[in-house]
Amino acid sequence: MTACLFLVCSLALANLAPSTQSKDPSTLDQISTAAQAARDQNQDDDAIRLFRKGLKIKPDWDEGLWYLGTMLYEREQFAESRDLLRRFVAQNGTSGPGWAILGLSEYHTREYRRSLEHLQKSRDYGLGDRKELANSVYYVVAVLLTRFEQYDDAMTLLFQMKSEGYQEELLLEPLGLASVRLPFLPSEIPADRRKMVRMAGAGSLAVAGGRREEAEKIFHDIIDAYPKEPGVHFLLGALLLNVRPEDGIKEMERELQISPSHVAARLRLAQEYARQQNFDAALPLAKEALHLDPQDFSCHMVLGEVLVGKADLTGGIQELETARDRAPELARIRWDLVRAYNQAGRESDANREKKAIEKLSAPNPE
Amino acid sequence: MVWVLPFLLALPLSATSQTAPASPSFADVSHRADAARVQERFPEAIQLYKQGIKLRPTWSEGWWWLGSIYYEQDRFPEAQAAFERFVATSPKAEPAYAFLGLCEYETGKYDAARRHFSQWALKGSPGTSELIDVALFHWALLLTQEGKFAQALYLLDKAAQHHGPNPLLVEAIGLAWLQLRNLPEDYPIEQREIVWLAGTASVSASADNYKKAQEYAARLVSHYGDRPNVHYFRGMLYFFDKQEEEAQAEFRRELEISPKNASAMIQLALAQASLREKLDEAENNASNALSIDSENPLGHYALGTVLLLQGKYEPSVGELQRAAKLAPGSARVHFQLANAYRRLDRMSDFEREKALFENLKDKQEVFATVEEKLMDVSDQREQPK
Repeated sequence: MTACLFLVCSLALANLAPSTQSKDPSTLDQISTAAQAARDQNQDDDAIRLFRKGLKIKPDWDEGLWYLGTMLYEREQFAESRDLLRRFVAQNGTSGPGWAILGLSEYHTREYRRSLEHLQKSRDYGLGDRKELANSVYYVVAVLLTRFEQYDDAMTLLFQMKSEGYQEELLLEPLGLASVRLPFLPSEIPADRRKMVRMAGAGSLAVAGGRREEAEKIFHDIIDAYPKEPGVHFLLGALLLNVRPEDGIKEMERELQISPSHVAARLRLAQEYARQQNFDAALPLAKEALHLDPQDFSCHMVLGEVLVGKADLTGGIQELETARDRAPELARIRWDLVRAYNQAGRESDANREKKAIEKLSAPNPE
Repeated sequence: MVWVLPFLLALPLSATSQTAPASPSFADVSHRADAARVQERFPEAIQLYKQGIKLRPTWSEGWWWLGSIYYEQDRFPEAQAAFERFVATSPKAEPAYAFLGLCEYETGKYDAARRHFSQWALKGSPGTSELIDVALFHWALLLTQEGKFAQALYLLDKAAQHHGPNPLLVEAIGLAWLQLRNLPEDYPIEQREIVWLAGTASVSASADNYKKAQEYAARLVSHYGDRPNVHYFRGMLYFFDKQEEEAQAEFRRELEISPKNASAMIQLALAQASLREKLDEAENNASNALSIDSENPLGHYALGTVLLLQGKYEPSVGELQRAAKLAPGSARVHFQLANAYRRLDRMSDFEREKALFENLKDKQEVFATVEEKLMDVSDQREQPK
């Protein structure tokens, strides 16, 4: 029985590695050379077998962890590539590509929180001139941000990808999902709304490209086809607020009838009323938005702006300070504070914020 | 909520046995290992801890730190092996059971993970708040996978109340409410929306935001109203919001879609009992549920309650006693049983049940049914040690 098994194993090995069977290397140096040669000659099965062999001799062998991890990733053996890359980055903590392949592997094993964290790390450490890898990383980061309901961050990244020449067709679904605020991956889009999502993506791309009329038409088409779906009136409303505010207000109100917990719709509406100096109309909307999402800095910012507009400087400053503490790099909040402090006669506080703004707008030496 | 353990390496090592090093070389190695760890030179620390363990295989502290570093690096197979050795070499290894469970979850050894989480809970769930959060969350995922949905919801709802909305929590709660025996990593992708909608509604209800909960439940019904458990779920939201009429309508709708849904029958009976109406029908509903799921403590509680309202005290006591046996830690079962005894003038029994209720009543405010959750605890107690 044992002999039979041995024969089976030998045969399998023989089939896998005809070219290296007769002169199997035994030291790590020999294995490394042979594995690289196999790799260069596209004899991946041989290379994989040799890298595995090398890792048995030296489990923390960087070269083996990296090449075996990436080769298994290419073969869609994601759990194994993930485990190898985890060992690799444990020793090479600043390797952007290492974190990238790890994060992409985790994306495929559906460990989304870890994947996002590790892909963000890969961006922090940089991917050098690996353009294709960078594109994959950016795409997956964007779709994961949406899945974790960080829609605005996802859209910022997707628009950045668009401006860098990323293929628009590939951005349609991620952008559509973020713009109608559905926390799904493109593969998770319900079949009956894939068209809606793609239309929303196309409309958002038109907005980003300055093609307002085209965008307006697309958004009207979405509403005609999906009038009761949450998010679609918001899209049109946000566009119209910039050109025909009264129509924009109507769409936002319609959105709030369909999805009363839509925080962004409340905020946009509150901001529009504040712009029109109608602070009485803005205040309940801003308060409700904050009640719905007390962690969101923008809710504190808008409520602060409205309260200051209503001459409630104490309450307004308090909200604006909360917003500033949560989003310290946002100049708009600090400008709000400068004005509010000045109105309240708090000159030194206003000066402090001005200095912070100057610091924010100073060119980054890096 | 923090679902990973960034502070793991700062955990105090209170539970380890301190085996005194015997040889200078061991002392030197262990000292250098600790120094490397403290200075976050982890690859070097790993090598040194391995070296120390080779010199002294019973060095439990070495196993602990090795496991901890591996865990921090998401190297779960290696962490699992180290924690196993730690448990074997340390007389006080309680928190390590949670880490073992977490490693086993990550390596797909789900039965072992369940066992270790259970062992850990029986030892009083020791550890930092981060460890407790992560371990209970993963245990809840496994309870859902096992089909113990109410117990999973009990744990997840406590997390939702404590930490607020969180996409991972939303997904986990959605799976449990819809009674999908899956993990977040392996449920069918076409179920993503239904899980998200149910999870968001439930998390909103946990935060007492029933307006938002019903908004999402309405979206759920509009897209998936023909699926099992969807109307049951919406009915529960109404029930928690004390809208019994609406709740009844949803439970009835659920029973049209899934006529064998015992949970919907029980909840319908409870809603009817709550309104003191259609008690004969309520009795039938509870009885039918028990004919499908005879060991359901909530079913016996519902039937006992309905019988009590009908003035059938003796049979009511029988049902409530059965419920108390199945769910000994349920405050409301003891409360109702006390009521039934009082009606029968069994005053010493009444006093005993009342005292039990008083001891347990702080556990009443939970989103999931306490009975089933505590039934799980009684299951654990019966496990051999």
